[in-house]
Amino acid sequence: MNRRLKKFLLLLLAVALLFGAGQMQNALNRERDRLGITLVKPLENAPPVLAFTTVALGGFRGLIANALWMRASDLQEDDKFFEAAQLADWITKLEPHFPQVWVFEAWNMAYNISVKFKDFPDRWRWLQNGIELLRDEGLKYNPNEVLIYRELAWDFQHKVGANLDDANMYYKQQWANEMAEVFGKMKGANFEKLVHPQTPDQTNRAARLREKFKMDPQFMQEVDEQYGPLEWRLPEAHAIYWAARGLKAARENPTKVKPDDLIQLRRVIYQDMLLSFQRGRLEVNPIEKIFEFGPNLDIIPKANEIYETNMAEDEKNRDHIEKAHRNFLRQAIYSLYVNNRLAEAAKWFKYLGEKYPNKPIIDDLPNSLPATVTLDQYAVACIQTDINETSHDRVKTAVEGLLVNYFRSLVMDQDDRATGFWLLARKVLDAYDRQIPQDRKEAIGLPPIAAIAKEIRERLLDPERGLTPEARAVLRTKLNLPAETSPTAPPVPAAPANGPSTNTVPNLPA
Amino acid sequence: MQKILAIAGLTWKAAFRFRLFLVVATLLLVAVVGLPILIKDDGTARGFTQILLTYTLSTITALLGLSTLWLACGTLARDIEECQMQVVAVKPVARWQIWLGKWLGLLSLNAVLLAVSGASVFGLLQWRATRLPAKEQTVLRREILVARGSLRERSYQTEIESDAERLLAERLKQNPTLADLAPAEKNEVRKQILEQVKAAYQLVPPNYEKKWEIDLGLVKHLLRDEPLQLRIKFNSAAKSPSGTFLGLWQVGVEQNTRLWRSEPMSLAPDTFHEFAIPPNLFDENGLLTITFDNRNDTALLFPLNEGLEVLYHEGGFGLNFARGLGIIFCWMALLAALGLAAASFLSFPVAAFFSLGVLTMALSSGTLANVVSEGTVMGSNSETGKVGHSVIDAVAVPFFRAALSVINLVKNFSPVDALSTGRSITWTELGLAFSQIVLLLGGIIGTIGVLGFNRRELATAQATQ
Repeated sequence: MNRRLKKFLLLLLAVALLFGAGQMQNALNRERDRLGITLVKPLENAPPVLAFTTVALGGFRGLIANALWMRASDLQEDDKFFEAAQLADWITKLEPHFPQVWVFEAWNMAYNISVKFKDFPDRWRWLQNGIELLRDEGLKYNPNEVLIYRELAWDFQHKVGANLDDANMYYKQQWANEMAEVFGKMKGANFEKLVHPQTPDQTNRAARLREKFKMDPQFMQEVDEQYGPLEWRLPEAHAIYWAARGLKAARENPTKVKPDDLIQLRRVIYQDMLLSFQRGRLEVNPIEKIFEFGPNLDIIPKANEIYETNMAEDEKNRDHIEKAHRNFLRQAIYSLYVNNRLAEAAKWFKYLGEKYPNKPIIDDLPNSLPATVTLDQYAVACIQTDINETSHDRVKTAVEGLLVNYFRSLVMDQDDRATGFWLLARKVLDAYDRQIPQDRKEAIGLPPIAAIAKEIRERLLDPERGLTPEARAVLRTKLNLPAETSPTAPPVPAAPANGPSTNTVPNLPA
Repeated sequence: MQKILAIAGLTWKAAFRFRLFLVVATLLLVAVVGLPILIKDDGTARGFTQILLTYTLSTITALLGLSTLWLACGTLARDIEECQMQVVAVKPVARWQIWLGKWLGLLSLNAVLLAVSGASVFGLLQWRATRLPAKEQTVLRREILVARGSLRERSYQTEIESDAERLLAERLKQNPTLADLAPAEKNEVRKQILEQVKAAYQLVPPNYEKKWEIDLGLVKHLLRDEPLQLRIKFNSAAKSPSGTFLGLWQVGVEQNTRLWRSEPMSLAPDTFHEFAIPPNLFDENGLLTITFDNRNDTALLFPLNEGLEVLYHEGGFGLNFARGLGIIFCWMALLAALGLAAASFLSFPVAAFFSLGVLTMALSSGTLANVVSEGTVMGSNSETGKVGHSVIDAVAVPFFRAALSVINLVKNFSPVDALSTGRSITWTELGLAFSQIVLLLGGIIGTIGVLGFNRRELATAQATQ
């Protein structure tokens, strides 16, 4: 046979065999996966360099990963963090199916490295690096790995959402800004426009959500319907989203999930539902240029439902969840009461009594069973358990705090909430007045609410130490007070020391 | 000299004949251009520049180092094995001139390759820097692409030691039974007292202040209207829930100098922090006073050696970079001497193996240091603190100690680290590197090589081709 022809035929044979092996490989991988006969899953979605490296290095990649891990550890000890992202990338790529490796590297960046920086933007960047490693890379190679979903949710719930890190408000602000680019700066997300975008702007927003944040608008809508309405500019909504994605992945691959891992995801959801109720409303203060949190009271029925579902599904941890549920209900009632949603507060108060009739509802009062306590008594007791009810200073502080909230709510045009704060402040004062001994009234009594309110109001309207000029103007309008005098105007002479005093403040609620 | 240069020229020819020059030059350029595409940084221009400098310079050092060793072994050993050396040696040129010529040839080759690759890295950095936003450029020019000198508080070692001795004497007086302690135990007591005294200099209890007074010396004249940077590090006695502690700093002295007070800082322990302070906060004698106010619930400890450092602008990046390359060049000169010395009395494969072995040992200095500090190669029981001993220790530990001293003469210089963190590499440092690495170690190895080569019987070599 011609030498060249022989070579050509051999080459052809090699190509055919390679093609055949490639076809067989897919089938073999599926079988491996189905029968569960290997610990190492075939690598999917990997770029060619990674696919080649993992195949070519075989078992040796573990050794290289160890060497890189040691280098990363040494560099971290020497405060050389600039290489950490690269080393984490290599280590995880060498062991792409080890969820613990992804989780550790991401946690290290988000928790350990981030706090090494004193500047908040630096910390935020490392936190993002940790989140991105899990979300953009870890889930790409391990789309069904519950542990990675749980860690991602935890980053949002704990690192961004909680207040342990000094930079937590910066994280929240940055996250809200990023989300505002997708959802806009107004409350509520219009998922229909993201699922079926009609305009180039909507298309861009939907693409940004999918490509940058790796989130599916359709699934977000489902999550919002099931658990919401959620405030998607806040981290808690994202913690719920990723935990829900993990639960979905677990449902689709029931054989690959450990039951204990599922409990962790469920726990993330109900904990974040509680947090969403406590501070799941974002109020952008356009005057002060900051944002503030408020309770999301609309979410209470859904949060209650989640607790109930989890209690039913999780026999092993039912006692713990019941305790958490009872605490949630008590907080919900108090928040509704403070926000002047008395009918709802009464409804949930009744529900609490029916659900847990034999459990006291006031801390440190074992006899305060629901049947023996009224809603009013409970609401006042709530604040009094936080303060020492016979402590003059603490009660004064609490009342002042409530009144500051009253005025601030007026500035924010939340009149109902303001009224709630006012009523509560008055009730706390009344309760205090009743409890202190009569002969001690002169010594430890507190001034009437109007006098305290006047003091707070003047403090807030003080041009030097008070609110911003815009906020002061809004507050003056709300209280029907005359406009502020010009700063160049001569100071108003002080009232004579022995002049008449008043306890009434114009235009305050009775 | 002409003879030496002629031999150096032959080395160049050999480098081209082996295609080594082209291959190494291409590899170096590919590394310099390709690495920025492959590596992943932390997302900042500063991080990118640091990682780029570290990776490119480390790659250049590794590639050049290996090729230098290989070529140094090859050019001499193969010349002998292929009997070309017999032809050269019968010419009116001394053996030491042949050896030196080859070494100079290798040095000039390295100089060219290092200059080309170094210039590429420098050009790439400058080009990328100009494409950054103005704010990022400022950070780069202030912190990385710069040569920053450093000042520390004067050493208190003498006071600490004399205080410790005084305390030890007092204790011995109070408790005479201590005098009967074995010398090793007495040393341990002395060590503990020394640490206690040292702690007093380092520790800042809650609600206390710590003051550093740093004498700027003659540098004060150069630092008028120049902002400075503080580099600080502390350890904490307990962990805080947030992982950070409140830092309140004051620089200057009331009614004596201008005063600067920091905003409250959120600082993590066990790590370095750098922050800028305004210019002209030192007094007319050049004394800069820095105060830390500890408002935390726990004591903080600022280590004496690295607790606080003042960084200042000492020079430009270009010259600093050149000095850094100068130190790398010194390493190459040593490797060339090592390879040539090995090839002077060994065949090519054995010489290459031997040189690589020495290099590996030098790179494992961490293990050597462990053995020396523990005083045994047998390892120790971490729970009881007892160490095992064997007869091997009697030989191995002193040998490791000697090897470590020699290796440290070379390894104590870290130009890549200094360049990537914007620290100054001074002329003195470069001069010291040249003296220690090239003159001292290179000289010793070169002398051994020349002697070996002089005594080598070239006629016994069999042509391999």
